[in-house]
Amino acid sequence: MGIDTRIKRGSGELAILALLDREPLHGYEISKRIAQMTGGVLQFNLASLYPLLYRMEKRGWVKGRWEEAPSGRQRRHYHLTPKGKKQLAPLREEWGLFFQALHRIAGVAHAG
Amino acid sequence: MPVNREQVKDLLGRLGLPQGREEEIQRELGDHVEDHAADLQARGMDAESATREVLDAVSNWQQFRNAILAAESEEVSMNYRTKALWLPAMCALILSNGLLAIFQVFGPAPRFYWFHGGKSLEIFCAFVIPWLLTQPVVGAVAAYWSRRAGGTVRYQLLAATAPATALMGLFLLILAFAIISDKHASHTITITGFLVLTVTWVLLPALPLLAGAAPFVRRPQTRS
Repeated sequence: MGIDTRIKRGSGELAILALLDREPLHGYEISKRIAQMTGGVLQFNLASLYPLLYRMEKRGWVKGRWEEAPSGRQRRHYHLTPKGKKQLAPLREEWGLFFQALHRIAGVAHAG
Repeated sequence: MPVNREQVKDLLGRLGLPQGREEEIQRELGDHVEDHAADLQARGMDAESATREVLDAVSNWQQFRNAILAAESEEVSMNYRTKALWLPAMCALILSNGLLAIFQVFGPAPRFYWFHGGKSLEIFCAFVIPWLLTQPVVGAVAAYWSRRAGGTVRYQLLAATAPATALMGLFLLILAFAIISDKHASHTITITGFLVLTVTWVLLPALPLLAGAAPFVRRPQTRS
């Protein structure tokens, strides 16, 4: 089942920050990891990923740098900035509260 | 220029961004197409179909272009510290000094107290009582503003006490200047004067500022 674009956009920020908190990744790696880790439920293509990354970069949460990828090619790797790190904790809390609230109303955890 | 980047450039059209940034975006998107297509080829798809599939995943290139432009032109919002600390602190400072000026011009004369500390040490200090009485309002406004802007308790207290802190900074500068420049004045007199000024114009106003702020100081809520 696909995820609504609006939900995807909101959760995308958290997903990207959480991934980059582990290690710097380039755009395609980010979309691949998200798809793998969510079992394909959350998927980002060119059009949904890059505007989000550029917006996060504008806000100073992530910083892109051209670096050599394991393939030997130069790729633009995104690094989590200290500002992005600060954003991560409240976003985690916010989404945790959101799911708890949904669970209380609709029993989301038991759905599906 | 690599084929993927050329295709992305054609589909996306001219973005109108600074040349370096535009080329960087085209290159990055081309790399993404290349990497994704390579993965699909590794799973048995031919090169052309793989590239086509990645590019076709973007249903509307015009919308994608607009989304990139919107992200690139997003105003960097006023940063958190400016909103939660500097603006309320500046407001408190202006309000406090404005009130002081008003009371000095239109209010009753300040009350003077003289301190005699030995043969050569005689220092006076002035209190503007009506001004001191207004400081709780200044502290309350600054703390409330900072809290509304999501400021931490520390920011709320710093904003509320900004008028006193600014004067402290000013007195420290004067003290340093006096010690360095005036070779004839006794350091005892200079430092005693500084302490008296600090008590009357920093510590004393800080108390009503904090008292006014206290009812409004709260831990910030999680962003909603």
